[in-house]
Amino acid sequence: MKPGRRLQDTVPAWLEAHRDAARRSLQRRLQAPVLSLISIAVLGFILALPAYLWVLLDNARALSAHVDHDPRIALYLDGVEAATVADLERHLETDARVERWIWIDADEALARYREGLADPGLLDWLDENPLPDVVDVVPATADPETVAALREALAATVPGATVVSDDDWVRQLNSLHQLGLRILSVVGALLGLGALLILALATASELRERREEIAISRISGATHRFLRRPSLYGGVMTGLGGGIFAGILLLIGIGLSRAPLEQAAAAFDLELGLSLPGATHLLALLLAGLLLGWLGARLGSGHALRDAP
Amino acid sequence: MIRLQRVTKRFGSASEALSNVSLRVDPGAMAFITGPSGAGKSTLLRLIAGLERPTRGRIRVNGHDLDRLSNRAIPGFRRSIGLVFQDHRLLFDRPVFDNVALPLEILAYRRPEMRKRVRAALDKVGLLHKEGVNPRTLSAGEQQRVGIARAIVHRPVLLLADEPTGNLDPALSREILQLFDDFNRVGMTALIASHDLGLVERMGKPVLHLEDGRIEARAAAGAPA
Repeated sequence: MKPGRRLQDTVPAWLEAHRDAARRSLQRRLQAPVLSLISIAVLGFILALPAYLWVLLDNARALSAHVDHDPRIALYLDGVEAATVADLERHLETDARVERWIWIDADEALARYREGLADPGLLDWLDENPLPDVVDVVPATADPETVAALREALAATVPGATVVSDDDWVRQLNSLHQLGLRILSVVGALLGLGALLILALATASELRERREEIAISRISGATHRFLRRPSLYGGVMTGLGGGIFAGILLLIGIGLSRAPLEQAAAAFDLELGLSLPGATHLLALLLAGLLLGWLGARLGSGHALRDAP
Repeated sequence: MIRLQRVTKRFGSASEALSNVSLRVDPGAMAFITGPSGAGKSTLLRLIAGLERPTRGRIRVNGHDLDRLSNRAIPGFRRSIGLVFQDHRLLFDRPVFDNVALPLEILAYRRPEMRKRVRAALDKVGLLHKEGVNPRTLSAGEQQRVGIARAIVHRPVLLLADEPTGNLDPALSREILQLFDDFNRVGMTALIASHDLGLVERMGKPVLHLEDGRIEARAAAGAPA
């Protein structure tokens, strides 16, 4: 240990060194504000696009929650034997996936149908009741997989019956949502990779400008870690700026697309409000920017310092 | 302090910049290397500072075998030496104080201690009143003195200077060499390259003459001037 340096000075000296690196990095950014702002803007655009798509997807998924009725399963018991019907009743009573069920007798159904006709005499032409007995089942949950499993179980209990459920469109919507998420992950990953390379290039060119300082510092015994410290702080600053800018762009984008989207939804008889992303999501955007900025600076400085004299 | 054994340095396929050079500089000594430009003076200093690796031969400086020093150990080794260049190599994006403070920043000195040492070094070279100015506004002699302050601020055990008086008039040159002599008197080993034979001989220190990458003659350790 050098004279004048005590062990208890180590941590404060380290903190001072970091503060100096951050300050110098900020000064350099303020000296070339246009270039710094361009880096921040590029990162902001790249982050805002997948975030915007994600918000749209998330809201589209909420559509399935807006369904005004629970999914139902109808069993048409045409020519099913009485013993099988008893089995079915036992199953419906014991299966936890069943919320409630109603038996609609064929004669009762015909009578109701007759009441709805303008000329009830028309049905007298029929030799026998064409309607089957129907069991209308309301599942305990709207979860598509559970409903599908219940439907399979009921069909197996009553082999001759026609089983129909009305949750097909929920399943279709869900699979579309899954597909959307997958596409979004790919697009997000590609954009993130692009951002990383742009930030690495920016860091490398900044280090080229500091070449003389780096050469002198190397001669004076500076380590890699010391030399890249200002660049890492610079990357974090750009990343933070990019994250904030992306958040602003996202809020503006949602604000602008809210009215047309609601109009379009109304045309399809759907009630859809575009909800703003919460604080957690905006924070995640900020962290994504920060991480990209830091990683890009690390990548660029590692490369540039390896090649520097 | 410095020991070279049959050191050869070749750059690419070009002819040898240094051929079979052997020399020894004891701790606390001061010596000069002279010779025309292109004789290999700068190459010799760069090898001793660990800025280049020898093609052949062994170099031992301040207890380190430079030919066996790992890349990771090089920064630590360089912190024990001070380097002065003919073109000063000052940073014009910051004031004199920050230029001189650079080696202390690398050594992670705390502010008060750093301030004390930088001001002491600037005082030694007579530029304390210029600590806040940009080095661009200084004269060539003043810039060189800032470079010297930066080289000695961390109190290195070895001071290497490559043509430190190259751009200066005779009076200023003598002043600069006198500074090196002062540092040497307080225990700093010094090795100075210069093409100005007349000036060097007046210092009365050992002189190594390089010619085409070979040591031509070795002056006996002269009596102090």
